[in-house]
Amino acid sequence: MMFLEKGDLHFVLDVLAGLGKLYVPAESNGITRFVPYGGEKTQVWLQTNTAISPKEILFPATETLYRYETGRGKETVKPVADHHAPLILFGIRSCDLQAITCLDDVFLDGEFVDELYRERRETATIIALSCAKAGPHCFCQSMGLDPLAHRQSDLQMYDYDQYYGLEANSDRGRLLLETLEKHDLLSVSGRENPVPALEFALEVETEGITEKLTGMFEHPLWEEVASKCLNCGICTYLCPACHCFDISEKLDNAHCGSKIRCWDSCMFSGYTRMAGGHNPRPGKRERVRERFMHKLCYFPQRYGKYLCTGCGRCLAKCPVGLEITKIMELVKEVENDA
Amino acid sequence: MMKQLIAQMQEIARELLETGIVQTVIGWEKGSRWYLSPPVFVRKPEDAGRLWYDQFAVPNLSGYLLDYRNKNEKVAVFVKGCDSRSVVRLIQDNQVRKENIVAIGVPCAGMRDQSAVNDEKEPHELPLLSKCLQCRYPNPVYADRTVGEAVVDKSLNVPDDLDAGTGLMGGDLTGDGSYVSSGIVERLEGLSSDDRYDFWQKAFSKCLRCYACRNVCPACSCRECIMDSEHSLWVGKGSSPTENMFNALIRAYHVAGRCTTCGECERVCPVGIPLMALNQFLGQEVNKLLEAYDAGIDETLKPPLEMYGWPDFDGLFRCAKGVRA
Amino acid sequence: MPEVAAFSGQRLAGVDDVRRINPLVPVQAQITRAITETHDTKTLYVVGLDGKVPFSLNPGQVAMLSLLGVGEGMFSGVDAGDHLEFSIKKVGALTGALHEVEPGQIVGLRGPYGNGFPLEFCRGKNLLFVAGGIGLAPLRSLVRFCIKHRSDFGGIHLVYGARTPGDLAFKGEIAGEWVAVEDFAISLTVDQGDRDWQHHVGFVPNLLRELKPAPDNTVCLVCGPPAMIKNSIVVLEELGFAAEEVLTTLEMRMKCGIGQCGRCNIGSCYVCLDGPVFRLADLKRYSSEY
Repeated sequence: MMFLEKGDLHFVLDVLAGLGKLYVPAESNGITRFVPYGGEKTQVWLQTNTAISPKEILFPATETLYRYETGRGKETVKPVADHHAPLILFGIRSCDLQAITCLDDVFLDGEFVDELYRERRETATIIALSCAKAGPHCFCQSMGLDPLAHRQSDLQMYDYDQYYGLEANSDRGRLLLETLEKHDLLSVSGRENPVPALEFALEVETEGITEKLTGMFEHPLWEEVASKCLNCGICTYLCPACHCFDISEKLDNAHCGSKIRCWDSCMFSGYTRMAGGHNPRPGKRERVRERFMHKLCYFPQRYGKYLCTGCGRCLAKCPVGLEITKIMELVKEVENDA
Repeated sequence: MMKQLIAQMQEIARELLETGIVQTVIGWEKGSRWYLSPPVFVRKPEDAGRLWYDQFAVPNLSGYLLDYRNKNEKVAVFVKGCDSRSVVRLIQDNQVRKENIVAIGVPCAGMRDQSAVNDEKEPHELPLLSKCLQCRYPNPVYADRTVGEAVVDKSLNVPDDLDAGTGLMGGDLTGDGSYVSSGIVERLEGLSSDDRYDFWQKAFSKCLRCYACRNVCPACSCRECIMDSEHSLWVGKGSSPTENMFNALIRAYHVAGRCTTCGECERVCPVGIPLMALNQFLGQEVNKLLEAYDAGIDETLKPPLEMYGWPDFDGLFRCAKGVRA
Repeated sequence: MPEVAAFSGQRLAGVDDVRRINPLVPVQAQITRAITETHDTKTLYVVGLDGKVPFSLNPGQVAMLSLLGVGEGMFSGVDAGDHLEFSIKKVGALTGALHEVEPGQIVGLRGPYGNGFPLEFCRGKNLLFVAGGIGLAPLRSLVRFCIKHRSDFGGIHLVYGARTPGDLAFKGEIAGEWVAVEDFAISLTVDQGDRDWQHHVGFVPNLLRELKPAPDNTVCLVCGPPAMIKNSIVVLEELGFAAEEVLTTLEMRMKCGIGQCGRCNIGSCYVCLDGPVFRLADLKRYSSEY
């Protein structure tokens, strides 16, 4: 393990910024999120995880799929040539990295590969940061994660008082370490502090939940929990793993425009409403059920992992306190008579 | 004191459910953290014990009545003074039928500002929400039943000083557009129009288009919102500063003169956009141009933008016709 | 595989092409014919810009058809060898615009998507087709396949209903080609007849109950409005059809067609990717999801 003095962090960020497009957690415009590093004026935020997840870097809220021209006897489609500088994501927490692996499952590992996502993901170097303490809404441990490290990072940083301990998990990570060494920023003289296990205020039992939910599609529980839902998109948009999207038109004028892809939410009425007006998920019950079933039952069935990583953002911001941890407890408690 | 009040609330709920007068009672329950009292729907008399009330029962529950507008079901809802104004508005807009609701007024000594929480585990003192510091309707203006010392008080209480700011929460206006304060309307009006534009551009650049502001709003009662319209060319679904701003302005104009300043839109906004500043500004403009009016106080008083009379300011109409006043 | 001039707007359609470049970007195709089936349904013939069939579609597979500036929608298609056919009912903005297209016009196309009908499973068995309204369109691809490979299948019975005689699609094909096929029974019904109507009047499930088709060695293929599917299923169960022997092809709102945008799931399956053809047995738990 190599060590880095915390006071030298900005030198490290300066070096990293020279290697690619560097994103760091920062306070910006009154909210914490991952922003392109802009030197000293960037207010790096490492106290807690960010309010908005880093998913927006790899899977932007809105992006253009292709531009087109039509009419006057010609039709042209121009995919957006989007050649990225390599991305470096600094300070990604275990929960958010786990969520990125969920996005990988959806966008890269199936029969079809999403090119726009792949272009970004394949160039990205991920520098993970261990959590010093569990936030009030955090429950990643319950979801089977280690808040101190995630193996799928390229470089793992451990938070040790005055030092960061650095460990490479991939060739890319090793390359970064070498580069930082060349800049004389690392030493071997640090101390590998034994980090005490984090104390979680929130714990939830997930054992067997996927199997139990399989038989709970028509359970009265959904009606019960859905009443207070506002069907807003806060939970899905703040979620680092929610990946549903919409494709729509954006007209510049009568002859040209672009096809855009933007985040969509299973909470919205238009999400499943068909052209003729039929909506298989007409109300709160169906939509709330879909969200929790997708996260805890369907996704695990399809990809072998939960689509919830315990980051707690939805708990923190749900205006009506509809908390996934409570849903999990309720699912565990209720009789499954289906 | 609070204990007694809660017992009374539970008793009323139990009675309403047992007698079958209503099928559902909408109230608050004890949340998962000390400063949260989220909404709860009670449908069985034996669940009435879940009801709870304290200084964190901030959510205005009246918006949920919109879920019942197409149902032939009678529902009871607990209302604080300010919440009761939203119920009146819903009745005025024919969104709910009076005979299908039992509004139960609760006394309110002001709600606490959860954004000031600094210890998630240990309860500590929190300041009042600034909307509560300037509360003009501590008693419900409309209620079928009341608990505690709450009384129905319909006396109009429009402030003399129409410009008095009533920001939702405490805080300060920072240069980067991040946060908001009471009196923000005046401070924004003091800016040049370019600076004001920059302020709002910056604020709306972080809008996620999650529509929480709309979905929580008791004045947003359109059956199909234009923002959800699949083939609307007015606004796209993607997020961009201009479209986000368009979305917000449409909403602000649409609730102008009908907004009961419950502040729920600003409370629920996950990125902290000072939405109430817009609503307050437009409310004040309506008051200045037409008449002093407080939305949702008296069922019989129509909102100024829903009627037209000769004394009204009519510059807009005349200008449009090219006729000078 | 035709030469691909990527990004130039002159791309020719091809399966690998669609997959290699961004799978959400359509290739260009051309309308060669537009046939009016009923007052609200048209069949469009589509070929690639090279005049050949853009890609082959197995019976039951679907493709995304788009009009630039209007929108994109998933339609069940028929592979007619030298062109693809899409039968489209006018229900919204996109389908309305597709009804206006004329031969020669360029449209966007991507696919093929979905599983299609399990041909091996159906081989050697009797087939009972139960269709309502435009629901015959996806079944038609299999009907045509069966006619082409007639000896591979047992008896065929089509039970087809629509609101009125005027709403029955593919009337010409049914009356011309299909009636002439050996061992091919056709039972028609309408909710409301007119003076000239000589067949059954009533809903499809009721007609099924009267006809009492035998379940022995028979695969039943159902497609139509959700209410028709659900009520027909009840009757089929009464008649002794096993849930494994009843197949349906579903329609859902779709945006990507490749199992990523999320909305068309039935449980952990995506209709666009794992469907649109499902065994009734797989859908039982989620009957309110379609």
